[in-house]
Amino acid sequence: MNPRFAWARQLAAFAVFLSVWQAVGHAGWLNPIYAPTPGQIGAALIELFGSGRIWTHLEATFGAALAGLALGVVAGILLGVLGSLVPFVAELLEPVMTLLNAVPRVVLAPLFVIWFGIGVASKIALSFILVAVLIFFTVFTGIRQVDRKLVERVLTLNGGRWALVRHVYLPSVAAWVLGNLKVAVGFAFTGAVVGEFVAASRGLGYLLSFAQSTFNSALMLALVLLIMVVVLAIFAIAGRLEKHLLRWK
Amino acid sequence: MSYGGEPVLEGASIVVGEGQFVSLVGPSGSGKSSLLRAVIGLQQPLEGTVEREVAPSEVAILFQDDALLPWKTARDNVALGLTLKGVRRGRALEQADVWLERLGLGSFGHRFPRHLSGGQSKRVALAQVLAREPKLLLMDEPFASLDAIVRTRVIQDVASLVEREHISVLLVTHDLEEAISLSDHIYLLSRGPRAHVTRDYPMPLPRPRDPVRARTHPAFAALYEKIWNDLSHEVDRV
Repeated sequence: MNPRFAWARQLAAFAVFLSVWQAVGHAGWLNPIYAPTPGQIGAALIELFGSGRIWTHLEATFGAALAGLALGVVAGILLGVLGSLVPFVAELLEPVMTLLNAVPRVVLAPLFVIWFGIGVASKIALSFILVAVLIFFTVFTGIRQVDRKLVERVLTLNGGRWALVRHVYLPSVAAWVLGNLKVAVGFAFTGAVVGEFVAASRGLGYLLSFAQSTFNSALMLALVLLIMVVVLAIFAIAGRLEKHLLRWK
Repeated sequence: MSYGGEPVLEGASIVVGEGQFVSLVGPSGSGKSSLLRAVIGLQQPLEGTVEREVAPSEVAILFQDDALLPWKTARDNVALGLTLKGVRRGRALEQADVWLERLGLGSFGHRFPRHLSGGQSKRVALAQVLAREPKLLLMDEPFASLDAIVRTRVIQDVASLVEREHISVLLVTHDLEEAISLSDHIYLLSRGPRAHVTRDYPMPLPRPRDPVRARTHPAFAALYEKIWNDLSHEVDRV
């Protein structure tokens, strides 16, 4: 078999799978409450977009995820840098961060609803905490592993402290953060959707919880599909950004 | 010079005259690298002083590892050496191009270090330090990582460039042939700890000199044999 046409075989297999699924559902062998047919899922998707009611939810989820991502990256970098520069800060931060890293941070979702309400703030907070801890460790361990040889190279070219920061530390930190950007994007959306699922009035997570309470599996699967597509699209953008900025790697 | 307690090197009185090529040979652990690090100021000697008649910015060092910044192109790496010395960026880039050209890398300026071969990367590192027009060039086993042919050619280039630019050189090497064919003077260090200079040899081979041709000079074999015997003696000494 020619490996070049692997995608064609995968596509064909998927098409067969969908057809069988559709046929079996059509014949009445599947309970539509548990397993709606691909056609029904497609119809649910079309209805979401056709009626236009999806936009407000997409906007809510995107807003929360991107705000959490931006704040989390900034805070993670600041704390990571501060921790590497000031030993006292490192002593205080490291145990807290290690603890936050050890537990699944989404368990904080109900707490954040109590603290920040059912509005967008609790979703941003969850996205933020997921991303910030990841980026903190990226930067904190990264700075300790800066290549000593590069530092000595710049020193022996009469570079001072500022030259070291600008030519060695900043590019190193940027590289680590960019290398983890995809994971961070995934975390940001997880935070937003889980936050909405727990308590919200808008967002993809809210729609999911609505679909669950009304036993609407077609809508639920349509939403899962939509979230996958959205996150993959953002992965692709992050991947291109990473590829361009880290082209020296 | 010490390395965690016991002095590695003591009593090394080494003089590098203007425009002279001086090599340091000796067993591993005799503190040769520490000495170079002290001269460039990466390390402080416990006692004694390093006297330089040249400004710190006129001393350059090449390590075995080229340590080019991976996120900068060859051209930007060379230019960095100049901007850190206070040269304006535009002028630094022009000079970088001149030096890359001079080292036969005219068309490689836009490449990142990852996409350079060992020999090319070494030449970029050379361009980076030579563009700064140093008066004293320190080299710590700079050619050890190169394969034989590339190594010989890089050595030829270095020899002719330092001769032409009248740069003083202090080279640390394990390779006796390399030391003899390049140097005006060789210092032999004893085994550490507490290593010291045991012998030094003026090199009578004439200048200007091609390091490859020098190996076939009538005096070469006798010099090699003599220093080799002394060096073996140092290595075997308990």
